[in-house]
Amino acid sequence: MAVAIVRAVEAVSSVVLGKEEQIRLAVACMIARGHLLIEDLPGMGKTTLAHALAKVFSLDYRRVQFTSDMLPADILGVSVFDPERREFHLRQGPVFTQLLLADEINRATPKTQGALLEAMEERQVTLDGETRTLPEPFFVIATQNPITQAGTFPLPESQLDRFLMRISLGYPSAETERELLAGSDRRDQALSMKPVLGVAELMQSMAQVEKVHASPDLIDYIQRLMAHSRNSGLFTAGLSPRAGLGLLRAARAWALLAGNDYVTPEDVQVVLGPVTAHRLQGSAGGGPESSTRQLLESVPVVRRH
Amino acid sequence: MARLYQVPHHAFMWLLLAVLMATLPHLMRAPGWMMVVVPVLLCWRFLVQRGRLRMPGKIIRATLMVVAVLATLYSYGTLLGPEAGVALLVVAFALKTLEMFRLRDAYVVIILACFVLATTFLFNRDPLTTVYVGVVLVLVMAALVGINHAQSGASSWGHLRLGGALVLQALPLMMVLFVLVPRFPPLWNMQLNPERARTGMSDSMAPGEISNLSRSAEPAFRVEFEGEVPPPALRYWRGLTYSWFDGRRWSQAAPQHTARLEYVRFPDEATPPWYASLLSARGEPEWRYRVIMERTGRQWLYALSVPFTDKSGVGVARDKRLVSRFEIDSTFDYRVESYRFPVAVEGLEEWERQLNVSLPSSGNLRTRRLAEQWHQEAGSDRAFIDRLLRWFNEEPFFYTLEPPLLAEDTVDDFIFRSRRGFCEHYSSAFAFMLRAAGIPARIVAGYQGGELNRLGNHLMVRQYDAHVWVEAWLPAQGWVEFDPTAAVAPSRVEFGLDQALSDFGEQAGGFGANLRRNPLFSRLSHMTDYMDFVWSKWVLGYNQDSQFEILSRLLGQVNPQRIAVALVLAGGGVVLLVLGWVLWRSRTPGLSWWQKEHGRMLRLLNNRGVPLTQGTSPQGMVDAVAVSYPSAARLLQDWQRCYEHMAYRRPGQDPELLRRQLVLLRRKAAVAMRGAPRLMDKEA
Amino acid sequence: MKALRRRIRSLYQRWLQHRIPPSRRVQLGQRNIFIFPTGYGFLFLLIAALLFVAGINYENNLLLGFSFLLVSIFLMAILHTFRNLAGVVLIAGDLRPGFVGARGALEVRVQGGSYPHRSLTLHWPGSPAEDVSVEPGREESVWLSVNLTRRGREHPGRLRIDSRYPLGLLRTWSMIDLDSRCIAWPKPLPGGECPGTGGDDDSGRQAQDQGSEDFDGLRNYVAGDSLRSVDWKSYARGRGLNTKQFTDPAEGRLWLTWESLTGHDPEIRYSKLCYWVLELDREHRPYGLILPDSQLDPASGAAHRERALELLALSGGG
Repeated sequence: MAVAIVRAVEAVSSVVLGKEEQIRLAVACMIARGHLLIEDLPGMGKTTLAHALAKVFSLDYRRVQFTSDMLPADILGVSVFDPERREFHLRQGPVFTQLLLADEINRATPKTQGALLEAMEERQVTLDGETRTLPEPFFVIATQNPITQAGTFPLPESQLDRFLMRISLGYPSAETERELLAGSDRRDQALSMKPVLGVAELMQSMAQVEKVHASPDLIDYIQRLMAHSRNSGLFTAGLSPRAGLGLLRAARAWALLAGNDYVTPEDVQVVLGPVTAHRLQGSAGGGPESSTRQLLESVPVVRRH
Repeated sequence: MARLYQVPHHAFMWLLLAVLMATLPHLMRAPGWMMVVVPVLLCWRFLVQRGRLRMPGKIIRATLMVVAVLATLYSYGTLLGPEAGVALLVVAFALKTLEMFRLRDAYVVIILACFVLATTFLFNRDPLTTVYVGVVLVLVMAALVGINHAQSGASSWGHLRLGGALVLQALPLMMVLFVLVPRFPPLWNMQLNPERARTGMSDSMAPGEISNLSRSAEPAFRVEFEGEVPPPALRYWRGLTYSWFDGRRWSQAAPQHTARLEYVRFPDEATPPWYASLLSARGEPEWRYRVIMERTGRQWLYALSVPFTDKSGVGVARDKRLVSRFEIDSTFDYRVESYRFPVAVEGLEEWERQLNVSLPSSGNLRTRRLAEQWHQEAGSDRAFIDRLLRWFNEEPFFYTLEPPLLAEDTVDDFIFRSRRGFCEHYSSAFAFMLRAAGIPARIVAGYQGGELNRLGNHLMVRQYDAHVWVEAWLPAQGWVEFDPTAAVAPSRVEFGLDQALSDFGEQAGGFGANLRRNPLFSRLSHMTDYMDFVWSKWVLGYNQDSQFEILSRLLGQVNPQRIAVALVLAGGGVVLLVLGWVLWRSRTPGLSWWQKEHGRMLRLLNNRGVPLTQGTSPQGMVDAVAVSYPSAARLLQDWQRCYEHMAYRRPGQDPELLRRQLVLLRRKAAVAMRGAPRLMDKEA
Repeated sequence: MKALRRRIRSLYQRWLQHRIPPSRRVQLGQRNIFIFPTGYGFLFLLIAALLFVAGINYENNLLLGFSFLLVSIFLMAILHTFRNLAGVVLIAGDLRPGFVGARGALEVRVQGGSYPHRSLTLHWPGSPAEDVSVEPGREESVWLSVNLTRRGREHPGRLRIDSRYPLGLLRTWSMIDLDSRCIAWPKPLPGGECPGTGGDDDSGRQAQDQGSEDFDGLRNYVAGDSLRSVDWKSYARGRGLNTKQFTDPAEGRLWLTWESLTGHDPEIRYSKLCYWVLELDREHRPYGLILPDSQLDPASGAAHRERALELLALSGGG
């Protein structure tokens, strides 16, 4: 099973060049049943990545470009009156899909953001008192410009918490850049990609993630990471229990991608940055990356006493 | 017998060691054949475990048992009695180890080991033996833990640790029980060893016997004084008197037709007149003390004149000494009050007078004549005695541990020829001369002196303090003690045997005595003596009386209810304390062995200068070593894989195997890194 | 007499039910642990008593002390034996179904606390026991076999966990209901007509190549896959053995139906269906299943077989 997933990673890599690590993280995030936030400047290939992921897993997907004039109903759907049948029926919004690309989510108003994030968490939507569950699986891949950009509404921390991971792509290397310039349009390539994995297989790997063995020693390590984030004073606020669960889930997914049926501390260390960086604020200033590195360096992997 | 029970290999060594050590003290006392047979049987068992030999069949085992019974019968002449019984038990026990076919048998071996171990105390009671027994019990418990832990991966040292912890945790409760559980008198009388060796003073004395005893430094008894300690010159410990002389040997004697009550009276008996007069003449006691006596196998006890005690089973004899109703078979302690009577309070019965002037009808004629002559010249008994003592003092008499052998007329030969003798020679000659002059006289046997131990403020009296002196009946004063040896060698009384002998250019028995003169050794021996004293007094001598004493001090009043309450409270308290300690210990989880092993590896790498942070994962360690010590990288990688198996993978691999591999790989890595130069990481 | 015993037993069961209610996860503690000396423990105490008498009679304080020490060790052993079980967490785990009359297995996960728990014996009444030791902070998984007597979910009764560690002087035990149930497939009953509808003919002799219609993709070769469906071309290119997968349209496939087995006892019907499921699976032929209360769309493969067997086991409220 893991082999098929690895093939998916390879397929995406052939479109999004030179970003293997980020792609693996994104796939890990998906099979860990997590939502993904891609944060970067415009034009770095965020959307391409999202498209490629949707294609490769042959997911039913929709794309929504968020704007500041968007209303919650534009995402969730709306009840409309059908004059012929003389009754209301729900016109489902774009959220009723397996993979939702929420482009530039921080351009929308907090209200709209809130509506989406609630749907992400509950995996269901309530309209006019009627609750409808979202399809299974359901992923949101949101992209976001760095908050310094004009005309944006930064996501509040409580909502950032709903994304399992945040990754950023960064500038391509010189070599990749050359390759990009020489090749055809990447987004078109992404849109014409062949699926590598069926939905069933994706679901199956999601089930497998849960069976990846996390030994008590490893759980202990994660617990000490959590405790240190709360007690060390490195951060203004420590990691939430939800973050801890997410970290374990992401580490499991990462281990599965590596072809293992057990989690090692390396798996935790790899996913710690993407899982926690957007939830932590370093108390001594400095970027979130350096804070998480500090966290990793100060917590012993194996208990000393 | 479908499948033989195999003692788990991690428990077997403890089991065998426990069996061997439990039998060892018995083997040291046992007849020669046992010292061969038992180790051979245990070796056999060892080889069985190793798969080199098979367990013996039924017939061989039965034969061996029969042979063992016969051999025991041959060696001891009986199968009953503690010595033979224990010997048989030990052999049967060793044989039983060759009959472990089921788990049950292993259990039986363990319980037998406890039993054999306990019987050690029938024969040895010193602190060292006790510690030894404790250690072996730990091994027995380790073996028991082992056979209850069937998994193959268990660790032997873990068993030993747990066994030790169990015994240690049980100790406080044991002490509570020891102090509080009421002591009963024996349920039925068990004579331990009817023909056991007797030590100390014997009931008769011939020349050379006391000097023999004086070569031994074994403790005889210890005395703990309440209040003042008498000066050396007054430390005459009376044991018994010898009234009958056959020309060579002095013996304890009483005329045939006197009733026992005429000369010994036990506590619960009617009061004979002589005892009544002694009782009525008592004033304030001169000395109060407690004697803790080693076992002697004899009935007489030692005390200063004139002793009274309220110890049950101990009577007072007419010749002013204490007598036990039974032979002293174990450490025995009794409190004594000694009184001084300035005048004769007890009369001299006619039979007593006759006994104490009697002499053999013939022999030693020169001495008899000399005595009669001097007695006439002196005019009074007292003057005669003084002259004799002066004479001993002035004539060239020598005090020696090695007197020459005496001819048939021992007294004549001693006085007129050899003039070299020990206390028995002087006392014998002195008493003989008094009797020859018609003065009732007898020899008192006991100990003189004793070394004061400042640590315990007690006197230690050893066998080499053995002494005999003389007492004579003077009508006005009653029985008066004289010490002719003191006349010859005054330092014997003041400073002890060593000093007295060296005054005469002689040294007491070789190495031991030399050591005794070394101040460091004497300090050390004072300490061990003190320990022995405490041991005898509080452990061996803790009996109904001392228990009553302590309990009344602790509880105010001794009755079953109070003892029960105290037992429950103290026992419960101790158990709760141990419980609390155990719970507190296990509150914070200890490191598992692989976590400790990881710590060791981390220290090793740190010592070798491999750059690591707190958060370096095992994989990170491998990477760092690959940069610094490429030659050790492979080992580290294997190590990391084993570690991962133990710490992060689903359980599956044999933990013991992994553990051994981890340790081995770490050691190899240490060796590999020792030789190699460290390469610096470019970034570091 | 018998009635009385039964009554006592049912009272005991009720009391147990109340004291240790069923749960998928049970932590052992004071509430659900019992402890009592073993025969060996009594023998040990007897030896201590003998030594006590000997000590009194020989007036030997060291013998007395030894006997007190044995008693104290016994008392400490109570603590240690109890502790060996206390804190253990038992969690109902996975299950391995089996056919009626054979054995299935249930997984019990045993978690330790902060100190080791050694030589724990677990078993269900009437089934063989398994030994397990748990190091601190570790989890061990034990598969315990269960005798399957009836189709459906088999409740093996209360799990018995006991231990004599460390000294064997006392036995401590607990009887917990992990609320775990094994699944008993019906015992396959060979013979008879294939109870199928659909397909090319009723006897089930169908085209051998499975679902030739739509090529669906490749998956790793699994032992048992038909060699015909191996993608030999890709094998020749050195990509390893892969099996071509085809999606079978539901129409025209074989349906095994409960209805077609009229005139049989329900259990026998399930047994016959079971036989045919196994038979068709052996031939790698797709089949579907229609039971009174459930339905399984036609497919083939190991996962499908498991699913089918499970439906057969659980149908009819089993």
